[in-house]
Amino acid sequence: MKQERFVALHSREWDILQSWLSALERQPKRTMRQEQALDFPLSYRRLCHHLALARGRGYSHEVTDRLQRIVQQGHRVLYRPPAPRWHRVASFLIAGFPRLVRAQWRCMLAAAVLFYVPALITLVLMQLRPELAHTVFSSAQLADFEKMYDPANKHIGRNSGTDMQMFGYYVMNNVSIAFRTFASGLFFGVGAVYVLGANGVEVGGVAGHLNAIGYGGPFWRFVVAHSAFELSALVIAGGAGLQLGLTLLAPGRQRRGPALVAAGWVGAQLALGAFAMLLAAAFVEAYWSSIAALPDVLKFGSGALLWLLVLGWLWRGGRAGTHGA
Amino acid sequence: MLDTVREIETPEGIALRLRAAGALPRAQAWMVDMLLRMGVFIMAMIPLSLFGMGGNGLAMLLLFALTWVYSVVCEVWLGGQTLGKRALGLRVVNADGTPVTWLPSVVRNLLRAVDVLPGVYGVGLVSTLIDPYARRLGDIVAGTMVIHAVELPAGQQVPTFAAVPLPVVLAADEQAALVEFAERSAQLTPQRQEELANLLTPLTGRNDTAAVRQLIGHANWLLGRP
Repeated sequence: MKQERFVALHSREWDILQSWLSALERQPKRTMRQEQALDFPLSYRRLCHHLALARGRGYSHEVTDRLQRIVQQGHRVLYRPPAPRWHRVASFLIAGFPRLVRAQWRCMLAAAVLFYVPALITLVLMQLRPELAHTVFSSAQLADFEKMYDPANKHIGRNSGTDMQMFGYYVMNNVSIAFRTFASGLFFGVGAVYVLGANGVEVGGVAGHLNAIGYGGPFWRFVVAHSAFELSALVIAGGAGLQLGLTLLAPGRQRRGPALVAAGWVGAQLALGAFAMLLAAAFVEAYWSSIAALPDVLKFGSGALLWLLVLGWLWRGGRAGTHGA
Repeated sequence: MLDTVREIETPEGIALRLRAAGALPRAQAWMVDMLLRMGVFIMAMIPLSLFGMGGNGLAMLLLFALTWVYSVVCEVWLGGQTLGKRALGLRVVNADGTPVTWLPSVVRNLLRAVDVLPGVYGVGLVSTLIDPYARRLGDIVAGTMVIHAVELPAGQQVPTFAAVPLPVVLAADEQAALVEFAERSAQLTPQRQEELANLLTPLTGRNDTAAVRQLIGHANWLLGRP
């Protein structure tokens, strides 16, 4: 068939599809309700067939380019991503995320070791030789910590500011750290190792120093509740980073490209879970941890409960039989 | 075909053409986004400053949203385009040419933290220069790419002349070459047209302007015009 005849036969069909697609871009909802929407997959596939014919028969660019443009537009519509479902967010947080954490237990264990071992060592060293605090922190920082956890302070853990302000600050600060920890894992895991170790030394240092100068009481009362979410989330973000870096180093029985893409998907889900945990941590830290007037029993009781909850969730969440999916 | 065009076969058995966007338009789109976000933040600070310390917290939350959430939400809900990308006519797509989905968008925007190092997008720039499809590291790991959303104008029309049947049967690629010559003749100088047409004197038996007219006539015949 000659090109002119081909165009004369089908041109109207192409124009109709083209105008429907253009209308869809302007008014998506109304256009989708038209009857023509039901025919769209069929007419799109017919158009694809026409393009293949036009290419096969060596028609000129005038035709192939015209068809190609409609195809590019139609492809985006036919294969558009599904609408997000809120219940999937819930089922991910309750079941999918803990399952993913357990599936990556080696990286998580390594991250936990990389974080907790330096923290414990610094904590113990600070008890034995308190002057070491000055090598880890500057004196301005030390003065800051001492002011924050002064037993006379009625808002522990902060110098000034309201709950709302601190909530915003914790979200911005902690989540950014977690996200960067994950991302820096791409440097063969070195970034994640560094961030985990450095944060371990810092957390252990603060705890050790305050304990050594006798401000341990307010400090532990402050951190016990939100640390359940915060420290676990940091370890998980670090583990996600390690997992990404290790995949780059040793992709296993896959090429590096596809292996990295798969690791990126896993890492992004872990980072999103860590983000949710850090939101919870920021909320607890800003609105609960800072209240100084509560009795010790309540403070440490709630802290223990939260730790049990987080660890239990990560350990049992999403096991077969306990979830609907 | 240019080497930055990535051809992807769709389930319908035809090829999608994705034209990869290089570092420069992407940097411009980023600048537009940056200025927009700074504008929004500054405008928001005016009412927030009335709330005192609490307003500070809200400002911090807003800063967080603008830094980490803005790109993902825009890309997923606006068909792969942040406002800056829309202004520059760019679009983020999955590796199979479909609009970007949640997880790939999250991956590429989290790994932005690596691409911005050191200084202003050092790693990202090197990566876009090395990769054949100008992807930064975040794009490679997410399996996404940034393409030009605006299609090129369709090919020129063949000028309408009286059709002249071909004296011999030509192979398909020879026919295609003839039609393409007729399509592009409007963009060539008359001298260049004649120079090319004179190469085919054995076919047309003519020279110069007459040869050009005859070749376009052949092209018209191939297209099936009267």
